[in-house]
Amino acid sequence: VLAALAAGAAEARATSEGQLPGAAAMGTGTPPSPSGTAFEETRLHVFTLDYPHVQIPFEITLWILLASLAKIGFHLYHKLPSIVPESCLLILVGLLLGGIIFGAEEKSPPVMNSDVFFLYLLPPIVLDAGYFMPTRLFFENFGTIFWYAVVGTLWNAIGIGISLYGICQISAFGLTDITLLQNLLFGSLISAVDPVAVLAVFENIHVNEQLYILVFGESLLNDAITVVLYNLFKSFCQMRTIKVIDIFAGIANFFIVGIGGVLIGILLGFVAAFTTRFTHKIRVIEPLFVFLYSYLSYITAEMFHLSGIMAITACAMTMNKYVEENVSQKSYTTIKYFMKMLSSVSETLIFIFMGVSTVGKNHEWNWAFVSFTLLFCLIWRALGVFVLTQIINVFRTIPLTFKDQFIIAYGGLRGAICFSLVFLLPPAVFPRKKLFITAVIVVIFFTVFIQGITIRPLVEFLDVKRSNKKQPAVSEEIYNRFFDHVKTGIEDVCGHWGHNFWRDKFKKFDNKYLRRLLIRENQPKSSIVSLYKKLEIKHAIEMAESGMISKVPSSVSLSEYHEGKIKPLSPTEMENMREILTKNLYQIRHRTMSYNRHSLAADANEKQAKEILIRRRHSLRESLRKTNSLSRERPVLAFCGGLL
Amino acid sequence: VSHSQITRLYSRFTSLDKGENGTLSREDFQRIPELAINPLGDRIINAFFPEGEDQVNFRGFMRTLAHFRPIEDNEKSKDQNGPEPLNSRSNKLHFAFRLYDLDKDDKISRDELLQVLRMMVGVNISDEQLGSIADRTIQEADQDGDSAISFAEFVKVLEKVDVEQKMSIRFLH
Repeated sequence: VLAALAAGAAEARATSEGQLPGAAAMGTGTPPSPSGTAFEETRLHVFTLDYPHVQIPFEITLWILLASLAKIGFHLYHKLPSIVPESCLLILVGLLLGGIIFGAEEKSPPVMNSDVFFLYLLPPIVLDAGYFMPTRLFFENFGTIFWYAVVGTLWNAIGIGISLYGICQISAFGLTDITLLQNLLFGSLISAVDPVAVLAVFENIHVNEQLYILVFGESLLNDAITVVLYNLFKSFCQMRTIKVIDIFAGIANFFIVGIGGVLIGILLGFVAAFTTRFTHKIRVIEPLFVFLYSYLSYITAEMFHLSGIMAITACAMTMNKYVEENVSQKSYTTIKYFMKMLSSVSETLIFIFMGVSTVGKNHEWNWAFVSFTLLFCLIWRALGVFVLTQIINVFRTIPLTFKDQFIIAYGGLRGAICFSLVFLLPPAVFPRKKLFITAVIVVIFFTVFIQGITIRPLVEFLDVKRSNKKQPAVSEEIYNRFFDHVKTGIEDVCGHWGHNFWRDKFKKFDNKYLRRLLIRENQPKSSIVSLYKKLEIKHAIEMAESGMISKVPSSVSLSEYHEGKIKPLSPTEMENMREILTKNLYQIRHRTMSYNRHSLAADANEKQAKEILIRRRHSLRESLRKTNSLSRERPVLAFCGGLL
Repeated sequence: VSHSQITRLYSRFTSLDKGENGTLSREDFQRIPELAINPLGDRIINAFFPEGEDQVNFRGFMRTLAHFRPIEDNEKSKDQNGPEPLNSRSNKLHFAFRLYDLDKDDKISRDELLQVLRMMVGVNISDEQLGSIADRTIQEADQDGDSAISFAEFVKVLEKVDVEQKMSIRFLH
């Protein structure tokens, strides 16, 4: 990163530094020697200040530090994160920085070049998303996800491209020099949906899991497809003539790129899983393997010009299960946290660049183009979602409601990917590049700020059937929670969407061959036993036996009860009660950990699960005794993994 | 319930049935890990088994699950004179009531309420606090002054709550 940035930025910087005219071409390098002729000797310097030597790493560190400090400040006021998504904050920080740099130097700040983005900044984000993707849910909805991602993106890209081309033809706007291909390219890069901000808001909306996985899955596949389309159109733009054979080649290339990437990812995922089988002597570097193999899959795919994003996602999803069982608990935690950290830093840098480059001279404003771009983005997304949903609902067992469609359509926020892609357009082929940049930035700002902030109120508005002004009774919270628990319990009994032929086949294959090969100590255990083991039940039982948790209400409280003399409670007491309840009632278990790029939300659920299991230990122990005699089952570790 | 749903639920039933004798016992339910950490897990499991029995067959399984079918709009006006469908609001509430009422005396006594509350709540609430919450709950519902919640009172308290939605599982549609 540093080397690349140095090359790009050195020229801009060194001239303004003014200290080393001789070292301008290098940027880093020789310490300043005081100017002097060969005959003048210089005394030894006791103390020197050598800024250019460390300039690049220094500034990058400062940027990241500033963004992280801003995040701390952001979370201090606890209501703010639920109203404003974090991406907004990062962009604002970027704007600030950009303003400072621009003000200090009176010219545009350094921008990143394509290698830095695609080789260093993008992989951590995609790896993070792929690693934490709940695989079972993903595959259950794979058809719909694939449909939205592929057909939806194509629809958006081509729709926006063609409509913009239509607008460009109107000579009054002064846009006639933008060709159809350029418009198509622009359309394809602006349809890259980045739902990070939406996912952060999802946690507050209580969106159902289906919707969550749809948006999440769509974003991943969508990124890959956008990049493929982008490269395709870019090469088309650079070719002099386009023959029909080229179009077919393009379509074939599309498939090869996608499938090839996935295959590489899966292959390396298995190799990674196999490697971790033998790492129990060198626990400390276990996390390294995960990261190395994932990154290797990405750059290997890029080497063949296949889709690195698909590769790294496939790799992460494949090795997830097996690696979790092989590595130690601490390594597993390290992997999770480090991954979050890396992707957080990446995203921060990208958004800061976005903010920084907004302030500057590389803009060209054209009312028509910008406003129509925004308009078409919204229209085509809404249309696309609507039409596609009508078609796919025929094949789904659980149709998507209007509210779902609205969330999917309105949640189509644009972010880092389209920004980076527009910056990487070669200006020689795209003389109106600045116009594109301006349009993209406007769209991103609009979607992230306006849509990001308003999606939550809108969803709540859609949800409210009857507005109940009455002060909720203390018991209402109890009843609501009671119903939720019952419903979750029954859903678990039903096993959700039931069993799937292919999934069962895969499970059998998995148990017979893959697990034997890839996992070190593969002893199938009963699921309850494995849960116990992971929760250090010995400690828990000790705690319970010492009386900390009582199963039956103590006799004291029973005797305090006076018949018929319940005194009315004052409002403050009511409030207290309500507060106690809200804090202490158990949460519904979320089947999938809600994805948040900025945090890992496992701990609260773990504590709750421990308490419940301890309490139920008697009935569970009973069932344990009986099940041990029955046939073996494989531990439900996806669930455990999610829990812990 | 559509044909594919029944097939799906049947395959789920058979996969839960480890002993492969066509019925489920309590241990089969205990084996569902998600249910293990559900605070009301024991009660829910009990709800599947009819009075005094230890095994439930597929018919009984479906019968219990039928309570959770979403209520269709066109069903509401259909058959006023026939037997009430299992997923009517009243039957859903009855199901919930039976989860509280262990001794089946058609009343939720303070003791029963306390038991359920204790199951739903973390370890940081003292018994006294829980007791006062239970008292308050009964007070809010109780109309005939017997310090217990009868089924009619239960229904009345929940009249503003969207029970149909809360006790419906979409894919049982």
